[in-house]
Amino acid sequence: MLRRIARHEWRMLFAEHAPWVVAALLAASTGYAVLNGLNWTSFQVATIEKALDEEAERYIGLKQQVTAIESGQMRAPFADPRMPDMAGGRLAPRYAAMPPLPLAALSIGQSDVLPYYFKVSTASRESVLTTNEIENPHRLLHGRFDLSFVIIYLFPLLIIGLSYNLLSLEKEQGTLALLLSQPVPLSTYVAGKIGVRAALVVLLVVMFSITGIAVGGVDVTPGGTLLRLAVWTGVVAAYGGFWFGVVLLATSFGRSSATNALSLATVWLLLVVVLPSTLNTAVAALYPVPSRVDMIAAVRVASDQASAKGNTLLAKYYGDHPEFVAGSDIEKAINDVAITRLAIDDEIEERVRPVVDRYDTQLARQQGLVDRFRLLSPAIVAQDALNDLAGTGSARFAHFVRRVEAFHRDWRARFASMIVQKQRLSAAMYDDIPHFTYQDEPLGAVVVRAGVALLLLLGAGLVLGAIGINRLRRYPIAG
Amino acid sequence: MLEATNLTKRYNGVTALDALNLSVAAGEVFCLLGANGAGKTTTINLFLNFVAPTTGSARINGLDVVEQPLETKKYLAYIPEMVMLYRNLTGLENLEYFSALAGRPDYTREQLLGFFNDVGLAADAAHRRVGIYSKGMRQKVGIAIALAKNAKALLLDEPTSGLDPKAANEFSALLTTLSAAGVAVLMATHDLFRAKESGTRVGIMKHGKLVATLNTSDLGHADLERIYLEHMHD
Ligand SMILES: Nc1ncnc2c1ncn2[C@@H]1O[C@H](COP(=O)(O)OP(=O)(O)O)[C@@H](O)[C@H]1O
Ligand SMILES: [Mg+2]
Repeated sequence: MLRRIARHEWRMLFAEHAPWVVAALLAASTGYAVLNGLNWTSFQVATIEKALDEEAERYIGLKQQVTAIESGQMRAPFADPRMPDMAGGRLAPRYAAMPPLPLAALSIGQSDVLPYYFKVSTASRESVLTTNEIENPHRLLHGRFDLSFVIIYLFPLLIIGLSYNLLSLEKEQGTLALLLSQPVPLSTYVAGKIGVRAALVVLLVVMFSITGIAVGGVDVTPGGTLLRLAVWTGVVAAYGGFWFGVVLLATSFGRSSATNALSLATVWLLLVVVLPSTLNTAVAALYPVPSRVDMIAAVRVASDQASAKGNTLLAKYYGDHPEFVAGSDIEKAINDVAITRLAIDDEIEERVRPVVDRYDTQLARQQGLVDRFRLLSPAIVAQDALNDLAGTGSARFAHFVRRVEAFHRDWRARFASMIVQKQRLSAAMYDDIPHFTYQDEPLGAVVVRAGVALLLLLGAGLVLGAIGINRLRRYPIAG
Repeated sequence: MLEATNLTKRYNGVTALDALNLSVAAGEVFCLLGANGAGKTTTINLFLNFVAPTTGSARINGLDVVEQPLETKKYLAYIPEMVMLYRNLTGLENLEYFSALAGRPDYTREQLLGFFNDVGLAADAAHRRVGIYSKGMRQKVGIAIALAKNAKALLLDEPTSGLDPKAANEFSALLTTLSAAGVAVLMATHDLFRAKESGTRVGIMKHGKLVATLNTSDLGHADLERIYLEHMHD
């Protein structure tokens, strides 16, 4: 019976050309969105490549200089590439980059406001990682037009557009009475109607997304990409399921098509637009973070003060490192400069620490609040999961920052010890300066987080749907 | 076949139907007469289980419609004042769909066209979209659906209002055929003439109460009108 009803429903939709309209809308929007996303990721990839090319060329130049100086062909310049303080600070910084995952094109997320590469030197942590912030934890409103935008915003609208008059149309055109004089429960009709619409819209979204990915040339061969794509599809289907649950509940009230359209549009506006932006505003108002400008100013003031204290710091450093023995006057002078800089950077870090800590605490509080209230909006849950799977979410970024911090710490320790031991860099030693290699967090963690989101969406949809089905027993058929 | 026992429906204190006791046997055509708001539609909706009774019960083929909502609908066909069908489908496609819902997905095309023939609809009409059907044609499709369902009880709510005399006449003739085949018919109507012609009994309703029940064979046309108006007076 369900199949017969579904077949009939399918014909009715076709008679209204609904599948074509949905297909055309989705083809156009997914096509444009995937293109848009690919544009952004290929720009990112190109930028990282350019940075690494620049670094490689710089290293070749520096090694040539070292060889020339060592062989006496060249006089040592002020910025002497053999000196560890010069090499580790100004001359030979390396880039630490987080390359976008193949699926980043599907969900740009925050990747267009957050840095995806840093230039690591012996400078203080704060000047290396200046943009370590999540100014807008859920900038759902201002997102780029990518596939996840289509899914979060457009997809529910399509579902609403297809089903706001699920039963009210039958009632308004007078066929409901005839249907219900047959030995078929109302819930069976509703199931058939929802089933056909869900199949239509979910299949089309998935189909066009995959077509977009294929045509756009997204590389799905890297490990885990297909698994991510599969979970992505699951999240999309679950998000659609949630909206069908909402539709079912709205239907069960037995109001007119116009009322249903209005109330569903209101729910959409609330859950997809109002709630996320209210959450952003509320979070920012409750736990304001010091602005980036304040942070940079603090770093500047701290470096001025630290520099002014240079000689005192040098003396302190000598006190802390008694193993350091001065050589000739000229050598001592050169080392003094290097060690002063090292000491100053330490001091800056020390002085900026409270600002950074306050910043981190506020961010953590913001995130905590967001984590608690994000469950209010399935749009946020879905968007976060899609970003997470695409590798453009906050988790991957935080992971990246932690790795860069570790790399930066090693870098400073390495060059500090070279400075203290009065080492000079040879051309061969340049090759030993470590590279940053980005290692993603384990795929399992991502899949688990996205899986939880999927289950939450599905659960919410099922609960709403069950309430709706239950209420259908009191559906006003007459009058 | 159709049986109401102390059937009562109140809407927020307003009594739409007041302790109706009524029984329509197989082959009978019972016509409900009464002014607008008398409770005729409420009676039919109660048999359809479209509204729940406040007290009392409605039974079809011995089964309570509230307790066995699906089972009772197997015996039942319903023709509202306006039979509304799927405008984008042909008459035949509509009949095929409703028959399938009624539990008869097995009819051949010829059999379905046979039902069209039985209700006096030309075969070429069966292949046209229902959107262009006249009201008379749609009411006949309603009968065709009832025929295809092989219904034992037929509920009609002012099915001939707005039909021209010829269409109304043809429609009434179909009812006579159905009752001859053993279908119990309960019809709400304002048409005293048709009630006398095709009804076996008439009931006069007023303010939710069945105030009189008459055998049409005992009456002349003028008698029915006089009795009806007498009841309507006070
Ligand atoms: N859904 C409803 N809510 C409130 N009152 C109703 C409803 N349906 C019918 N009524 C009332 O019940 C009474 C009987 O109505 P109805 O059965 O439709 O009369 P008829 O079909 O004989 O014209 C009327 O007074 C009408 O206003
Ligand atoms: Mg009525």
